[in-house]
Amino acid sequence: MTTLFALAATHTLAQNELNVQFHQFQDTRGVTVLSPTVELSQDFTDRTTLRGSFGVDAISAASDSCARCHHQGVSSQRLVGSASLTRKFGDLKWTIGGEYSRENFYRATTALTSLARDLNNGNTTIAGGFTFSLNQPTLHPLPQVEQQYASSGYAAITQTLTKTTIAQVGYELARVNGFQSNPYLRADVQGIMLVGQAPDLRTRQTLTARIRQALPADTYFEANYRHYFDSWQLRSNSIDVGLSHYLTKPVLASVVYRRYGQTGAFFFQRQYAGSPEFFTADFRLAPFASDLYTGKLVITPGAMAWLPKGSSLLVQYDRYRADNGFEAGTLTGGLRVPLKLK
Amino acid sequence: MMRTVRALLSLAAAIAAVLIVVGPDVVAAPAPTAAPAVEWRGADGAVVRLANAKGKVVLVDFWASWCPPCKESFPALDVIQRDYRARGVDVIAVNVDERRKDADAFLAAHPHQLLVVFDPRGESPKAFKVRGMPSSFVIDRRGEIRYTHQGYSQGIERTYRRELDVLIAEPVR
Amino acid sequence: MHTHALGRFLLLAAIAAVALMGAGCVTVQPWERGRLADPQMRFDENGSLTAYQAHWLEAREGSAGGSGVQGGGCGCK
Repeated sequence: MTTLFALAATHTLAQNELNVQFHQFQDTRGVTVLSPTVELSQDFTDRTTLRGSFGVDAISAASDSCARCHHQGVSSQRLVGSASLTRKFGDLKWTIGGEYSRENFYRATTALTSLARDLNNGNTTIAGGFTFSLNQPTLHPLPQVEQQYASSGYAAITQTLTKTTIAQVGYELARVNGFQSNPYLRADVQGIMLVGQAPDLRTRQTLTARIRQALPADTYFEANYRHYFDSWQLRSNSIDVGLSHYLTKPVLASVVYRRYGQTGAFFFQRQYAGSPEFFTADFRLAPFASDLYTGKLVITPGAMAWLPKGSSLLVQYDRYRADNGFEAGTLTGGLRVPLKLK
Repeated sequence: MMRTVRALLSLAAAIAAVLIVVGPDVVAAPAPTAAPAVEWRGADGAVVRLANAKGKVVLVDFWASWCPPCKESFPALDVIQRDYRARGVDVIAVNVDERRKDADAFLAAHPHQLLVVFDPRGESPKAFKVRGMPSSFVIDRRGEIRYTHQGYSQGIERTYRRELDVLIAEPVR
Repeated sequence: MHTHALGRFLLLAAIAAVALMGAGCVTVQPWERGRLADPQMRFDENGSLTAYQAHWLEAREGSAGGSGVQGGGCGCK
């Protein structure tokens, strides 16, 4: 869902381009995910942009859920494709789109629509959107397929504050219905390992505040804050701050630090006694805190023999460390090539 | 539920088809108003006054190096200047970059014949009440703004030519 | 849980600023957006989390949502 909003959002840079990225994800449990993604944006007319993206995850141990049952590792694949269309009507921008993803035991179909309007000579932008998803997990090793419906809406205001400052506040409300247990993780209920049982309704709310500040000497500061809370009484705060600097005109270096902390869901326990209505062994529903460090380099080399003018290369490294023992690193390499129609 | 999703997707596709077919917005012609008396600095620092061009048809375009559609429209404007110079048309590209070197880097990479002037403090776009970048104004021989444009679209070059042809054909009074 | 006093402050400050400025005082003219036009000033392009990061974080964390949406940039027509 998050991905989808991001997809709707990127349209503002309407230009024809091809964006190829290659990600490698590796964690302390030996899970390795290699994901190439290809993304294409195409302006049809001055006011209509079509965007499509396609990605593949080659997963050598799909998650630690798989790793627990398949100690030797297991190969899996995730395919994701999406398309969206944006149309400008003066200061109004309308996007519709959809996304489909499929992996061994999970399928998701999402439709989205969003609207954004510039006001105040472009100093204020109000945006809102809605998505609906149908998610279908398979209860592997059983063949049974469960259904989960998620609908979500958001609204955001972006405001230019000065010639060098811009801020955004947003609110998102999501409602998830249906099967929401993790079919792969077993909880300890009186010493018996059982597939978790979670409430079948979850209402999730998110408040965000973001700010960007241009500093002297081609340097930019960013700060983002997110407060999340849901009807399972899970709360989280995340804050991240970053600095970007153009070392030379074609070389941009960025560093970002993110701190995250969450409480557990009301029914999360390490072990359960009696006969609880709800129980889970899902680490995502347990309290923990984490740090994420990101370093990024974007190089726009200008005219080069084998690269079209305006192409850029990206290298990014993320290091994630949570106090529940989980650590991961991701490495991303990317190439963005502008496409000329004429 | 799959049916609902499919229905939603087909609805979306139908709307998309309609949106693609509907043409681009039409630029409205405003009532003529006198162009403001503005002055700029040329590349050499010399003062350039808009009033000096009175008696000629003038196309004034406000652009900046940080504005992608402005940069797209620049070569098209230059072609128009080359084609219309002999017919007494001046194309003036007013750069509003705060840092001159940003403009110079772009200009060095784009050889041009149109007149580029500089207004880093933004006095002239204010006088012209520019509401978005890029903005252009087509001014007749009497110094009245006859056509205004905001943004860049691929068809704008043809529109400029049509408008310039109209203004050139008008008798000088 | 870690409460982020700085985060709360940022949230309140941003809401207050947006409310005040959104009330109609235009401060920045279209030709003054040179710094704002930089990709680093966009909320979508350089969102703190890219779509890829959000994807793998969602598989590790109990919360989701709230990625940056469009707004800002050069404001070009």
